[in-house]
Amino acid sequence: MATATPTTRPPKKSARRQKVESALIYPVDWLEERSGLVGGIKYFLFRKVPADTNWMQTLGSATLTAFIVQAVTGVILAMYYQPHPDTAYQSIQHITNDVTLGWLVRGMHRWGASVFIILMFFHMARVFLFGAYKYPRELNWIVGVMLLALGMLEGFTGYLLPWDQTAYWATIVGININGTAPVLGPFIAQFLRGGAEIGTDTLSRFYSLHMLLIPGGIIGLITLHLYLVVRLGVTSPPWSKEAAGATWVDDEPPSTNGHRAGLTRPAARASLRRDGSGS
Amino acid sequence: MAALDERRAGFQKYKDDVKNRGKPFFPYAMFHDTVMSLVVVCVIIGLACVWYFTSGENPDTCGGKDSCLLGPRYSEPADPGTTNFVPRPDWYFYFLFYLLRIFKWPNSVILGTVGIPTILLIILIALPFLDTRLERRLWRRPVAVIAAVLVVLSMGVLTYRGATAKEALAAEVKAAVPRWAARQGFTDNKDAVAGANLFAVSGCTSCHTYLGTGSSNQGAPDLSAEGAKGKPKTFYHDYIRDPSKFGNNVMPKFGFSDEQLNQLAAFLTSSKGPK
Repeated sequence: MATATPTTRPPKKSARRQKVESALIYPVDWLEERSGLVGGIKYFLFRKVPADTNWMQTLGSATLTAFIVQAVTGVILAMYYQPHPDTAYQSIQHITNDVTLGWLVRGMHRWGASVFIILMFFHMARVFLFGAYKYPRELNWIVGVMLLALGMLEGFTGYLLPWDQTAYWATIVGININGTAPVLGPFIAQFLRGGAEIGTDTLSRFYSLHMLLIPGGIIGLITLHLYLVVRLGVTSPPWSKEAAGATWVDDEPPSTNGHRAGLTRPAARASLRRDGSGS
Repeated sequence: MAALDERRAGFQKYKDDVKNRGKPFFPYAMFHDTVMSLVVVCVIIGLACVWYFTSGENPDTCGGKDSCLLGPRYSEPADPGTTNFVPRPDWYFYFLFYLLRIFKWPNSVILGTVGIPTILLIILIALPFLDTRLERRLWRRPVAVIAAVLVVLSMGVLTYRGATAKEALAAEVKAAVPRWAARQGFTDNKDAVAGANLFAVSGCTSCHTYLGTGSSNQGAPDLSAEGAKGKPKTFYHDYIRDPSKFGNNVMPKFGFSDEQLNQLAAFLTSSKGPK
């Protein structure tokens, strides 16, 4: 950043200002020299996306936002929540009714879960309709499906934590349903219960799965998901007039004669008649 | 392989086009992402506010006349001894919940509980390998579009049916007990009538049907003619006490006393089918 500053414009900076600037830039350079992180962030921010990306393509980052809301509110809730059958219900009441803005944090966590799940489904629908799961993005689709499954597991394990009647009985049925699976079923059910009955062990087990194992998996998979998005690029809408939208082969080379990115290019469009014969 | 070359060429062309004619992620796409993310956070905060300000500290606030828009803050504390609580999952599992009404214990319940969700998950994971064409325009992908519409419709219908599935109130079911006794001919059997009442108020009819009352759920069987199987009372006593000992992992253990178990057993053995 500091190296490429052109010094062609004469109004000479005062010595003081130069000093301040280099002092500000120094930590950035220090970090870049040792990690390359600054370059990575620059690459992430200034990478090119097709000029006609669509509002529907914000659903992925919206899902990420919902997950971040869950993570932040979840950390705060964990400071007050007590995962034991004797105290869990009281701690939930305490959070909701007594703790300053506790109701907001719990409410956001509770409803954020639903929003997160809905957005995952919407995002998946968008990817499906855009055909964005096709070559070479198959792996990212699979990662996404795994994220959906883990997200629903978060919902299942989180549902027990308030330790109220709704939670308790829904979880009994849920675990019993797992138990009907052939071969592995009884073992899964036994593992989830942490014994023969739903009790102390079940609650702490669900708590641990809900706030350590599954979120850890989700964070790892989201990282991989984003890495693949950056590496493979964003698809443009299938109805795109941009050549970037047509991943099938055209005979005519795309016209790139000096048009600015992101603006309409009538000439380029004309040369890009997609007659579909190449598909 | 020509097909593979074609794909690679197509992707290379995409990369070249984006490089030459795309726009930088920041600020263009990032602006849209930021607006959408703010909307998401506002919606979540809005939901939390509506939920909190329309409900009360008491877990009973949402029953009957005072309605909360988004449900109570919590229900009563968990009590393993309750016998009449109707289990309900969170809304995104309603489709599964309703699916379980369609399949009957014990023959096909595995299909509903494990089979269909597993098959759906496998199809979902395998999708990019089932549909390998490069075509992305919707009107050229009729099979994909029809499949998507069917999946969305059926998930929607199942979720809606699961959400609106009515569970009969204990009082309503109890009113049917004298009719049951008359039709089954156990009016004079005190234990059986007591068992029938217990059956009516304990939420058994949330999963089991009996002479047309109740709703079939989680694959639970109709019990109208259970007594005709000729099994002894002790069998039902032991079975209800702990269904998992009999390989039934769906039916929960309820906190019935020995006497109550005997009454339920008397009720079931006297239920030989309507005369």
